[in-house]
Amino acid sequence: MTDIHLDHISFEYGRREILSDFTLTLPGAGVTILRGPSGCGKTTLLRLLAGLEQPRSGQITGVCPRETAFLFQENRLLPWRTAEQHLTDVLPRDRREEAERWLALTELTGEEHSYPAALSGGMCRRLALARCLALGGRLYLLDEPFAGVDPQRASRIMTGLRALPAPVLLTSHEYHILSLAHRVIDLDGPPLRVV
Amino acid sequence: MSLLLPPAFWLGAWQLCAFWVDRHVQGRGNELLLPYPATVLAALVRLGGTAPFWGIVLASLGRIVAGMALGIVLGALLAALTYLSPWAHRILAPAIRVIRATPVASFILLVLLWTGRDRVPVIIAALMVLPVVWENLSRGLRETDPQLLEMGRLYRFTRWQMVRLIYLPSLWPYFLSAVTTAMGLAWKSGVAAEVLCLPGRAIGAQVYHAKLYLEIPDLFAWTAAVVILSLLLEGLLRALLRAGKGGSAP
Repeated sequence: MTDIHLDHISFEYGRREILSDFTLTLPGAGVTILRGPSGCGKTTLLRLLAGLEQPRSGQITGVCPRETAFLFQENRLLPWRTAEQHLTDVLPRDRREEAERWLALTELTGEEHSYPAALSGGMCRRLALARCLALGGRLYLLDEPFAGVDPQRASRIMTGLRALPAPVLLTSHEYHILSLAHRVIDLDGPPLRVV
Repeated sequence: MSLLLPPAFWLGAWQLCAFWVDRHVQGRGNELLLPYPATVLAALVRLGGTAPFWGIVLASLGRIVAGMALGIVLGALLAALTYLSPWAHRILAPAIRVIRATPVASFILLVLLWTGRDRVPVIIAALMVLPVVWENLSRGLRETDPQLLEMGRLYRFTRWQMVRLIYLPSLWPYFLSAVTTAMGLAWKSGVAAEVLCLPGRAIGAQVYHAKLYLEIPDLFAWTAAVVILSLLLEGLLRALLRAGKGGSAP
């Protein structure tokens, strides 16, 4: 995949300026971590890349929103679906057996028939991540994928993310996974800027 | 024990009131004003022992169930329509609110003018159920979690998946609440329609005749039959809805 370019992007929530004439090039391969304080605009940046928000001005190239797999900051699980069903819901009919693979990568094997209410906070986060990975795409955008996940497990999952065929862009506060990324970009804001 | 306490309390209160009326009329027959619970039970057992009773009960039950089903289907369709189209909402919402505010007696008499007396209870029950179902399901649709809807869209759910995986489960509590409320309304309005229209075989018609011939214990017995049927049907419906939901929820 080619690099992703954000050219002179501006974006506001109401009167609050989140991105102002922001320019950045993101690598089109490997795992990139966006690191920065809460509220600096990292989530907004991912939402812009996923096409969930439209910039007031500027241009984003190298990414097609329809081909991204986005992990929301909230789990957004369906309380009435089991762990396995969460994955089969997003997998095409002929690839449903892949559910097992993604559950294994996120260390949820054995929880196939569990409902979200029966899972811990960290397990729910991993299930949301597994669903996003199962959805697949040409770019993974992961917003705080390891929130509530213990460091050792997060590191193991991070190793699995490095093996994905598509580039991964994730936001994180967890210092222990930084060394496993191909690239770390430090951010600050708002308005968002590269430090 | 705790389940039996409220009915026992109210039966006791009824017994005391009937006793007080009996004393007040000084042996001139309290049965015309407020019969004793035992008298009503005896009337119910006597009526229940006759073949026509069950035919009448089944006929009324059929009308109420048909009216409820019609009201639920129409209410659900209109809720979907008014949710999807702001124009449909603008046009239909006031009309549904008018239906809800119109006295049921006016509707009964109007519908009696327009159609056969056997159909009136069905139509009236449906008209009373429709606004309740519409209101509840409309609120449920409006309050469906926008974050789940956004997730569904971004995760490329088909329209059918959006309905099956997000909308229907989210609407379930609203539907259950609507159906429970609607059940009582359907019985009340349906029997009222039967009282005023006197269809062939109907509990309402029996209530009317009992009142006409001052057979007050029979009037109470038929009313008790309606209450029992309503409670039984509500319990059955709740069990069916729970069974229908089973397996897809924690």
